[in-house]
Amino acid sequence: MGSAMSFLQRQIEDPVRLTRIKRWCYVVLAIAALAEVVVSYVLHASHSHFSFEDFPAWGSLYGLVSCVAIILVSKLLGKVWLMRREDYYDS
Amino acid sequence: MTLEWVHPGLLLIFGAWALPLLKGRLKRAAMLLLPGAALAICLALTPGTYGVVSFLGQEVIFGRVDRLSVVFSYVFSLMAFLGMVYALHVEDDSQHVAALTYAGGALGVTFAGDFLSLYVFWELMAISSALLVWQRREASAVAAGFRYLLVHVFGGLILLAGILIHWSQTGSLAFGDMGASYGGLAWTLILVSFLLNAAVPPLGAWLPDAYPEATVTGAVFMTAFTTKSAVYVLIRGYAGTELLVWLGAAMAVYGVVYAVLENDARRLLAYHIVSQVGYMVCGVGIGTALAINGATAHAFAHILYKALLFMGAGAVLQMTGARKLSEMGGLYKTMPVTLGLYMVGAFAISAVPLFSGFVSKSMVISAAGEAHLGPVFLMLTLASAGTFLHTGLKLPYYMFFGEDSGLRGQEPPRNMLVAMGLAAVACVVIGVFPGLLYQLLPNAIEYVPYTLQHVTSTLGMLSFTALGFFLLLRHLDPELTVSLDTDWFYRRGTARFVNLVEGPLARLEYGLVGEIYELVMRRPVLGAAYLLRKLDTVVIDTAAVGVGRSTQTFSRILKTVMSGHAQHYGLIMTAGILALLTLAVLAS
Repeated sequence: MGSAMSFLQRQIEDPVRLTRIKRWCYVVLAIAALAEVVVSYVLHASHSHFSFEDFPAWGSLYGLVSCVAIILVSKLLGKVWLMRREDYYDS
Repeated sequence: MTLEWVHPGLLLIFGAWALPLLKGRLKRAAMLLLPGAALAICLALTPGTYGVVSFLGQEVIFGRVDRLSVVFSYVFSLMAFLGMVYALHVEDDSQHVAALTYAGGALGVTFAGDFLSLYVFWELMAISSALLVWQRREASAVAAGFRYLLVHVFGGLILLAGILIHWSQTGSLAFGDMGASYGGLAWTLILVSFLLNAAVPPLGAWLPDAYPEATVTGAVFMTAFTTKSAVYVLIRGYAGTELLVWLGAAMAVYGVVYAVLENDARRLLAYHIVSQVGYMVCGVGIGTALAINGATAHAFAHILYKALLFMGAGAVLQMTGARKLSEMGGLYKTMPVTLGLYMVGAFAISAVPLFSGFVSKSMVISAAGEAHLGPVFLMLTLASAGTFLHTGLKLPYYMFFGEDSGLRGQEPPRNMLVAMGLAAVACVVIGVFPGLLYQLLPNAIEYVPYTLQHVTSTLGMLSFTALGFFLLLRHLDPELTVSLDTDWFYRRGTARFVNLVEGPLARLEYGLVGEIYELVMRRPVLGAAYLLRKLDTVVIDTAAVGVGRSTQTFSRILKTVMSGHAQHYGLIMTAGILALLTLAVLAS
């Protein structure tokens, strides 16, 4: 386990390797989106319940939109209303 | 109670009291044997009705054993076992007794066939779990424990009121589908108490308030039993109630929103319990065979992966003393095993293929699709992205990677790692062999989670959620804040109420009420008293003084005669005799 961790540490702390990892991550993203498109093209009998699910790379698209929407809307709600100083309930 | 029926819950509740009497290895053996035996009993159960007792002319059923109660009893007793493994090193008998009682209460609720025994076990769970909060023995934990207990006592009273009304209306205490009394007062009250325990907003703020305050090991038990036993009773009584569809979907998103704002690691995970239970409540509301199976399967899978996540966060808390994400970072160097096991739980809750959440959560989402509930489908899928965002990315990033905080926690004691390992194995086994879980579900239907389309769209969704996370990472840095939730009403709202009482209400009392009092009460009373006093002086005093005066005068006269000298008495007697003689002479 120790060697595995020092391996992980090397990957994270070496900027050259980190850049290489990042590049691979973009490749994975492209493959994920592409796989969705290909699969829906290959499978003629769709299991979709809704028409919007047949939109090309629907999962990838909705995942990105959801993630961004959750972060922005929550932070907005937090800033204007919900977030208080940590000692709010102590005072 | 017949011999062929030993209640696994009562075994835990009464067996727990043996622990303080035992020592060392024997005690640790008993800690594992008790939940182990309960699990064995549950596994050996055959459907039927056991433990029927007559009480107050009612049938109290301690053992309703059918497919639904059996599958919940498996996961509750398995969870009790995993929790005890995790707590094996803790030298505090009161925690173990409380935890086993709590697990026993959950099993009691699961097997209860009537409202009376349901209510007793329900309250037992509330009290024993409050103890798990208090036993952290810090001021914030004591306060949170009191809030937790008061909320649950309130919920228990609502349940009791509902039960009594239901009893008076139907003449029966049997607990089953409540559809017959749909919309009635009893139906509503019992539903509200169930929703409170399921942490459905706005009744659910007690959960993220109390769970992060509990002991490291106690919180692991708490994640499993209260909300999931509430899901169980909702399936029993309220399957197909449309309100629950929308409450559940809203709840799934609500937990995710709060998780964005949260800095306390265990509170972030607690908000994700709310979110995950939302899927189950939604499934109960949809009510189809697939949806009920989905709610049950998701409860089963959720108990195991959520326990694993709380075990991981608890291990970090125990080994470093840090509970806020802003204090952590860089722990992967010294706690790699904890990180690895935590990530298994994170992948399971995020519904990554080959992990348990994938095969259970998708059932509920598919059921929403089959019922053509488009908005619900979208809300649940959005919450899925949010789950991965927080539990799978944000929390591990700030806890184990991120900016090095300088914290150097070691790996936790071996028993904690073993418990996490067992839970991780369960998460993977369910994910890889979903048939093992599916064959236990209440409804016999076919469901195939691993279709090409489903796997690719899930992987696409997860990887692009990760992209969104890294793009917006700067906005996610944990902040030193707390977030307002509905617990505000009893934490600050009550303080406002007290201010209202002390300020305006007090002035109102002294002013208006005081004036009215003066006018209505004091003046007439004083007037009457004055009159009475006058009567007293004039009539009674005069009479009394008069009597006194005449007595005094008489006494004074008497005094001149009664001088106390014998010669005076002799003189008077002589004078009297002379007077008598004079009378006699004159009369003759």
